[in-house]
Amino acid sequence: MENKLPITRMSKFFSEEDFSLQIQIGQEYLHGDLNMKLVLYRVDRQKTDKDDVYGEVGKDEIKYFPPIEFNALVKVEEAKNSSYKGGMLRYLEPGNLLLSVYIKHLEELGIDIRYGDYIGYPESEEKIRFYTVTNDGRVTSDNKHHLFGFKPYYRTITCAIAQEQEFRGV
Amino acid sequence: MGIPKRKTDIQIYKGKQLTERRQELLEKITKSDSYLPDSVLHDDLDSGMLDFIKKNFVVISDGEQIPVIPKILTIQRWAQIMNTWEFSDDDGNLKVPFVGVIRRPDVQPGTNPSVTRTIPDRLQFHYASVATWNGTQMGADVYKIPQPVAVDITFEVTIVCTKLRELNRFNKIVLQKFASRQAYTIVKGHYIPIIMDKVEDNSPIDQIDGRRFYMQTYQFTMLGFLIDQDEFEVKPAVSRFFLMNEFAKNTNFQKKYINKRIDITIATFKADGLQTAFSVGESISMLFNVAINGLLQERDVDFFHIAGTSKITFASPPLEGSTITITYFKGRNSVFIDSYGKTLQVSTEYFTYNGSTLIFTLLNSIDSIVSLDINGLIEEEGQGFDVESSTQVKLNFSPISGSKVGVTYVY
Repeated sequence: MENKLPITRMSKFFSEEDFSLQIQIGQEYLHGDLNMKLVLYRVDRQKTDKDDVYGEVGKDEIKYFPPIEFNALVKVEEAKNSSYKGGMLRYLEPGNLLLSVYIKHLEELGIDIRYGDYIGYPESEEKIRFYTVTNDGRVTSDNKHHLFGFKPYYRTITCAIAQEQEFRGV
Repeated sequence: MGIPKRKTDIQIYKGKQLTERRQELLEKITKSDSYLPDSVLHDDLDSGMLDFIKKNFVVISDGEQIPVIPKILTIQRWAQIMNTWEFSDDDGNLKVPFVGVIRRPDVQPGTNPSVTRTIPDRLQFHYASVATWNGTQMGADVYKIPQPVAVDITFEVTIVCTKLRELNRFNKIVLQKFASRQAYTIVKGHYIPIIMDKVEDNSPIDQIDGRRFYMQTYQFTMLGFLIDQDEFEVKPAVSRFFLMNEFAKNTNFQKKYINKRIDITIATFKADGLQTAFSVGESISMLFNVAINGLLQERDVDFFHIAGTSKITFASPPLEGSTITITYFKGRNSVFIDSYGKTLQVSTEYFTYNGSTLIFTLLNSIDSIVSLDINGLIEEEGQGFDVESSTQVKLNFSPISGSKVGVTYVY
């Protein structure tokens, strides 16, 4: 939209300054106190050499833009005991990664998180677990993602574990 | 223009054919030097299926072969970890892609065409006769085995991967292999057919917020059969005895039968000094003679026999260590006929030599002399006696007066 439309709703109680202050306070807590950091690997959809028919790529063939560190509120779901075939071929399915990230933070970094991008979460000093974005949370029209009904201020991003054959950050 | 295809597996030497090929196949199933086929049990069939999959279902993806878990997966949890550790990631999970083989626990009655028609009661059948020699006695062992038991074993071969291209390659290989409905694996030399039943797709591609992968299951039925060595029987066949008889006057024991081929049986027993009844184990149609240590015994005096039965009963137990010889023609209803179809009978008549005439007249016309004995000792025809006429025999020497002369003959 070329022309910006000022948001004037609730101006008696809540203004753009209040909105910015709230986000500033939240970011101080999230970025400063908690300092939860993750790495975003945005897939370069132009340079990645994919299969003509299926659009599939082979091992380590995904091309991505330079990784970017970002802050988010992190929730990792519990791993689920699973099996491939009726109790046989058992495995432990790692839980999904749920991120809450300030929209402003993404704007400051000049990035967007898109469906299919990869996110590295340093689980320990030695281990980074890679996830793929299954829900980029771009639609933030719901009440939950609005601050007091004024404007959306964060995105909830859902990620599932990435297969090693698919992506391992190299 | 494509690269010309070269055939690299041309067989220069022709394989064996017909009887030689059959012998070759036979040798393959009897590798363990026992003359009998090796056991083929459930685990052998499972192993054969695994070998078949590892050998044939080779799919290369990203420059590497998609691994096949080298064991049949069972419910023991520790065993899966042991069997799959080399394909696992840091979390101990199987790295995708992989191929796993699951055998259904329920093994069904079989439909293998070669053993479909079953014979009840697990009867034993002749497999081979093998000559034996224990140092003193030559004989043969008869090897018998029951009919193999047909079993149908269902296997589920599951490929888990992340790319449709991997599925395509796997599918191509499987369908090519089973283009003619069935393929074969070799289990201990036996060709065991495998039939492809169906392909199922169990891919959780509807998991929009979860990990997604392709998973397809190919179901196969192995038309196997069980051969169990524990059921085999090895029994000695009839042994051959070399029997020597010693006679007075340095004459050989001879029997003269009619000039027609018949099966005369000589049963030999060793007396233990107590036993009086001896059974030859089959019906005696015609009893020629009974001897103890070469001395012919007199019927209804020294021994008794009921016609058609198998038993000879002595009046008193023969001395311990004595050799009892029973010569007979077997069969309850067997008929003894000559070359012209005339029914023959055997008779034994006894005379007492009174010191005068050496000629003895028989009740019937002689067809053939079986034996002539004096006090039980057999005389040879032409030396000890001659046939004088159709009903008479004549001794060629004078025995002690009062000697008993027995003539057994066919009439």
